[in-house]
Amino acid sequence: MSHLLRAFPAFLRVSIQAMLQYRGEILLWCMWGIVNPTVLYVMWSAATRGAPDGKIAGLDQNGFAVYYFFLLIVGHLTAAWDVYNMSYLVRKGQLSPLLLRPILPMWESLSSNLAYKITTLMFAAPMWLVFILITQPSFQTQWWQAGLGMIALLLGAALNYMLCYTVALVAFWTTKLDAVGEIYFGLGMLLGGRMAPVDALPPYLQIASEFLPFKWMFAFPVEVLAGMRDDVHAVTRGLLIQAAWVMLVVLVFRISWHLAVKRYSAVSG
Amino acid sequence: MLLFARISVQNFAAYRADFFLRGIMSLVQLAAELIVVDTIFHNTETLAGWRLPHMLVLVGVYRMVAGGIRIYIVPNMRRVLEDIREGTLDFVLLKPVNSQLLVSIREFVFWRITDLIYGGTAAAIGASMLAKDIGATQIATFVFMLAAGFAIIYSVWLALATIGFWFIRVQNIEMVFWNVFEAGRFPVMIYPYWVQWSLTFLVPLAFITTFPAGTLLADPATGVPAAAPYYAAGIAVVSVLLSSWFWRFGLKHYSGASA
Repeated sequence: MSHLLRAFPAFLRVSIQAMLQYRGEILLWCMWGIVNPTVLYVMWSAATRGAPDGKIAGLDQNGFAVYYFFLLIVGHLTAAWDVYNMSYLVRKGQLSPLLLRPILPMWESLSSNLAYKITTLMFAAPMWLVFILITQPSFQTQWWQAGLGMIALLLGAALNYMLCYTVALVAFWTTKLDAVGEIYFGLGMLLGGRMAPVDALPPYLQIASEFLPFKWMFAFPVEVLAGMRDDVHAVTRGLLIQAAWVMLVVLVFRISWHLAVKRYSAVSG
Repeated sequence: MLLFARISVQNFAAYRADFFLRGIMSLVQLAAELIVVDTIFHNTETLAGWRLPHMLVLVGVYRMVAGGIRIYIVPNMRRVLEDIREGTLDFVLLKPVNSQLLVSIREFVFWRITDLIYGGTAAAIGASMLAKDIGATQIATFVFMLAAGFAIIYSVWLALATIGFWFIRVQNIEMVFWNVFEAGRFPVMIYPYWVQWSLTFLVPLAFITTFPAGTLLADPATGVPAAAPYYAAGIAVVSVLLSSWFWRFGLKHYSGASA
């Protein structure tokens, strides 16, 4: 643990340097995180005009502006992409030097994950402001909701990161991970409250979202931050469910990591 | 051209399991898009005048166009950018044929044909759900609109690839393109007026998904102007000419990277 505490800041420094080196590419990456929620916001606010009482799942046009504003932030801060690049690392044998280090390769990936979020903030934050300026949402969030919402956001980020990394371990068995990555991302989109708020989903998707962790990654933090959850007890219970999911995924990770490393044979030695 | 296509078909035949897996993925993608449509109409009657069958047609068109771009346009333009960077474009320029033609037909991603089939099916189902029968002229106009849309996208891509003559590091141009293309998932009528205007005339995205879908339906409720085919023809011709001129202009700046 103590060498982890010494190594991690160094990792983080290196990752931030690397991110700044590739800032052009990273900005484009980040742009998608802005375009997609914005398009969906416009679509839903157009859809409210066709709904009987101008509301969808209890949200009017302003409600959707608030919802998607927080989704911009939550989407950015919970981003994880190991499921996309793990197969590359395995295939190219780039994981081998990382495995030789006396520290889990995951910490290296986590540091670049955090570095991405820190360095792109300079770009993303002004875009969030532009979103507010154009959509002019009026916020109803109370202080306790903002506070608990931030905890929910942290737990959501941890959950997405851990699950994404755990699913990425499939790369040790098959080098074709693209399909797995697409499905993982697609499920987060459909069931995580990104394509639509969970309450607006048709029943079959709502049931599916109950049993899967995706809504606890994105939808729950957004709903708390947007002030859509009034019941303190329900919010606290939600935080506990998030924490339980994180612990479950960490447990699964530890077991599958053990199996994966045993299985590991780099393609190019 | 046939030769290039044959090579890529043979290539695919060598990896049949891969083709099968990708076919399934393409189907899953379509299913996800249909779920989005289902979610929308679970909550509302119309989306800026577009009803469920209209949206089905749009989803089908979106899939077909996205597939078409990946079959021919993106792979070829990707290779051009690569050739410019590595200096191997010399070999293309040395051949006694039109360089623009040659760089546009070298690659062909066969398995993406599935996108055309699935997208076409979705569009056909959507169109047949509207009780009104669809005449031959309507189908002909629709095919014409799709062709015009592809001509526009092709020109945009040729122009993007040409930029590579000045800025070598533009691999990420592809991402910018898909970012903008994302907005074509829904009818342009959902956007505020100034965005609609820019998506029609500045970045002619409206001509690529919304307008073709609208002409197949020929339903004034969709808000697609009846004169759309004429505009499409005009814009397609202008963009093809402009991009071709830009390509020739860019070639003059090319001095080879290997020298």
